[in-house]
Amino acid sequence: MEVQSEYCGYCGSCVTVCPEGIIELAENGLKVEIGCTDCGNCVYVCPMGALIVEKDDD
Amino acid sequence: MTKLKYDVVVVGARVGGSTSALFASKSDVDVLMLEKRQEIGTPVQCAEGVTYNTFETLEIKPNEKYIRSRIKGANIHAPDGRCINYEGGVAEGLVLDRKVFDKELASEAAKSGSDIMVKTAVKDLIIKDHKVCGVIAKHLGETIEVKADVVIAADGIESNMARMAGLKTIQSPKQICSCAQYEMVGVDVDPNYLEFYFGENVAPKGYVWIFPKGDGVANVGVGIRSPDKTPLYYLDKFVSKLDAKPVELNIGGVPLSGPIEKTYTDGLLVVGDAAGHVDPITGGGIHPTITCARIAGEVAAESVKNEDSSSNYLKNYEKLWKKEVGKGLSQSAKFRKMADKLSDKDMNLLAEFIENQDIESISKIAALKFVGKNPNLMKLLTEIL
Ligand SMILES: Cc1cc2nc3c(=O)[nH]c(=O)nc-3n(C[C@H](O)[C@H](O)[C@H](O)COP(=O)(O)OP(=O)(O)OC[C@H]3O[C@@H](n4cnc5c(N)ncnc54)[C@H](O)[C@@H]3O)c2cc1C
Ligand code: SF4
Ligand code: SF4
Repeated sequence: MEVQSEYCGYCGSCVTVCPEGIIELAENGLKVEIGCTDCGNCVYVCPMGALIVEKDDD
Repeated sequence: MTKLKYDVVVVGARVGGSTSALFASKSDVDVLMLEKRQEIGTPVQCAEGVTYNTFETLEIKPNEKYIRSRIKGANIHAPDGRCINYEGGVAEGLVLDRKVFDKELASEAAKSGSDIMVKTAVKDLIIKDHKVCGVIAKHLGETIEVKADVVIAADGIESNMARMAGLKTIQSPKQICSCAQYEMVGVDVDPNYLEFYFGENVAPKGYVWIFPKGDGVANVGVGIRSPDKTPLYYLDKFVSKLDAKPVELNIGGVPLSGPIEKTYTDGLLVVGDAAGHVDPITGGGIHPTITCARIAGEVAAESVKNEDSSSNYLKNYEKLWKKEVGKGLSQSAKFRKMADKLSDKDMNLLAEFIENQDIESISKIAALKFVGKNPNLMKLLTEIL
């Protein structure tokens, strides 16, 4: 998952849906630790369209 | 490292946190409330509508400082443009200025004895022998250890505390209502009525709201549950029809799944958005949050006095909040499942039936006759019952 930080509105919705628990709303922006499975949950809920998951082309 | 000791530590200082802190310190225990932002109440993530019973639960008289509008009812706009007027009842209440209200509520907690630290982010829980016994926080680069008998997690949708304590808090994305809202100037609406707009093109699996704040100012927002486009897209589409200008953009997610499986563990209680204390049909979280947060504060204080903050004692909290709001929340969850299945056509039919009738006096027989003539609605109703 990729964060387009200029779009992020700092709302925390992505944190609550991440099954890996790797997103943190830190003081200076969104912090994503390693371990992302590209499940897309966070992309689904982001009100700003700030998150992108590369889709497989098959 | 600074080391502190309190009876109760509250994480998060908005409506949930301040209510818990207020009622815990009213029961004469030492309370510290920690808020990671530098200003309590910002950014606003709310349409700011509340019912009067919120203030009854708080035992506080609503103050003019934060009242923006007094609401007498609501206008509900069906997809085909038909408008249903609803007077009083659940639609009656106030539109607040939550930046002022949230800070005021924190001040009430402070006045009753709670200590507060802002710009202090809790990073970790102290867990010993499977029991939560404090938090590790960061304040301006300094690490602070706060030992406590009970930790109350009121850290909202961005909640990590409950998960760290081993509780199941993860939400399905389909159960999160994704919202965007502008506070706008120059909105031409009745200052005493809420406006709601429904329809697949306006807000898929959600609605548009206009909550007036007086002087032509209003919160205009959209909440949806659909991954195709963002709520901001639908909001911009909706407001393009209004001759109004934004002065603020608020975004956020509302958990509509109902309460999480378990809201307590050894040494920890979870309240508010973090616990799913939100009405699944309206998305209103202030009243259920305050109700549960008050109970959390009181139970935490009692547990301190009884020198028992084990799971076994703290389960009282869940028992008590369920008694107050449990039934209402699960009924709402049922209705939401039904509402999810309504097509635009169903909603138009419903609106047509209700239009020009006094909602309170619609007879059961008339309602049954109507549903009987509309197979899709009948099917939904039988599923629910
Ligand atoms: C767009 C929108 C509109 C809404 N409109 C309404 C409405 O009109 N009426 C209504 O009743 N409800 C409404 N709601 C729901 C309502 O706003 C919430 O249910 C309510 O605010 C929840 O309060 P809370 O105290 O549980 O959490 P929050 O308000 O989310 O507060 C959590 C606090 O914890 C802090 N925090 C988080 N993590 C940490 C940490 N690690 N350390 C320290 N502090 C931390 C945060 O900074 C924040 O201040 C709306 C929600 C949204 C998103
Ligand atoms: S894509 Fe899935 S795993 Fe990766 S950050 Fe988002 S929610 Fe977490
Ligand atoms: S959901 Fe989107 S806007 Fe909200 S914090 Fe996550 S990335 Fe930022």
